[in-house]
Amino acid sequence: MSAAALRLQPVTLQFRRAPGPLLAQIEAALAPHGQPLRWAITAVEPGLAGSCPLLTLEAVVLA
Amino acid sequence: MTASRPLPTLLVIPTGIGCELGGYAGDGLPAARLLAAASGCLITHPNVMNAASLYWSDRRIHYVEGWALDRFAAGELALAPRASQRVGVLLDAGIEPELVLRHRQVIDACRASLGIPIGPVLTSELPLGVSLQKGASGSSWGTIARPDVLLRAGEQLVAAGATAIAVVARFPEDPESEALAAYRAGSGVDALAGAEAVISHLLVRHLGIPCAHAPALLPLPLDPALDPRAAAEELGHTFLPCVLVGLSRAPDLVPLVDSLMRGTAPLLHAAQLGAVVAPAGALGGAAVLACAERGIPLISVANPCLLEVNAEALGLVAIPASSYAEAAGLVLALREGIDPAALTRPLAGPA
Repeated sequence: MSAAALRLQPVTLQFRRAPGPLLAQIEAALAPHGQPLRWAITAVEPGLAGSCPLLTLEAVVLA
Repeated sequence: MTASRPLPTLLVIPTGIGCELGGYAGDGLPAARLLAAASGCLITHPNVMNAASLYWSDRRIHYVEGWALDRFAAGELALAPRASQRVGVLLDAGIEPELVLRHRQVIDACRASLGIPIGPVLTSELPLGVSLQKGASGSSWGTIARPDVLLRAGEQLVAAGATAIAVVARFPEDPESEALAAYRAGSGVDALAGAEAVISHLLVRHLGIPCAHAPALLPLPLDPALDPRAAAEELGHTFLPCVLVGLSRAPDLVPLVDSLMRGTAPLLHAAQLGAVVAPAGALGGAAVLACAERGIPLISVANPCLLEVNAEALGLVAIPASSYAEAAGLVLALREGIDPAALTRPLAGPA
C-alpha cells in the first residue's frame, strides 16, 4: 500500500470466539476491514450454556 | 555464588486505558526499574518509560515501540542492542513558531548536556492533523489526517542518516475538558495516548526503525491539586526529553529472516523470553496473546483499568500478582528456577 493511498479507519467489532488459539481468530476477524495497525480486545461477554464468549475488538486499520 | 543468567522479560502496560499504575506520565517507571533488576533484561514500550522531562536510562531495559513490541512477541522481529542511535526529529508543520523553538532547545540541550547524537531535524511539509477519539470502552483512540505526510517525512529523515525517529506532533488543546481535569486529578484516561500510538506504529511499520512520539502542547494553568502521577508532564515546555533519551539507546529492529543471517551479533529473540508481565484486566493485546500462545509464563498484575479482559475470560493460564513488587519476586523466582507455586500455601496439587 503506497503512502499516498493510506487511510486510517477506526473499527469496533464483535465476534464469537471459537475453541483454539485466539490470535489467528482475531486476525481473521479484522482482515475484511483492512490491515490492522492497532487493536485490543476491550470486552468479553461470557457465552451462555457452555457456548464460547463474545469478544469486542477495538482497532485502527489501514483501509 | 554466581548470578543467574538474565531472564528476558516483557513488560506491557497498555496505553490509554487508565491503568492506575502506568496510565499517567511515565509512572510505570519504578515498576520497570524493579522488573529490570529482577530479570536482568526487560523489554518494554515508551508508554512505560516516557515521563516527559523525566527519564531513566538503564542498560538492562530495552525501549521498544508498541508495534515493534507486538512483532517481537510474535517472533517476527529480533532486537539488536546498540550503543547509540542517531535520532532524527520530525516536527509537525502545525506547531507554532514559539513552540517549535522550545523543542529545538530541548534538542540542543540533549546534544550538549547528554551527548545524544541527534539530527537531522525536519518539519513536515503539511500539518499532520491529529484528532482524538474515544472507543466504546472509553479507551483512548485517535488518528491523523495525513499519514502520507508523516511517512514521507520519515523516509527523508532515514535518507539523511537517521537511525531512529522522534516525532513531535501538534495535539489539539482542550484545557477546560472534563477528561483532562480527571486525568490531572488522577482518575482519568490519557486522552492523547491513542493518537500517539497510531503515529509511532505507522512509522515503525513503514520504516522498520525505532520511533517514538511526543505531543506538542501549550503549558496548562498551574493546578495545586495535580496528581503526582501526572506531574512529570507539567515540569517543562515539552514532552521530548524522555523520547530522545529512550530512542538514543533503543535496539535495532531486525526482521526474523535478517536475524538468521546476522551471525555473531547478539540478538534478543522472543524464544528467549522467560516471562511476560501485564495488567490483569488488559490481557487482550497482541503481545500478551502471542506470548501466551507460545507458552511463556504470564504474570497478571492487579492494576485496575477501564477493561476487564482477564485471564479467566480469555481462557489463559496466568500467575496472579497483587502488585509489581510481587511480580518482580515471581520473575526472580523464574530466573532462579524456582517454581512460583512452591512459594504459596496450600501447595498446589500434583503437577
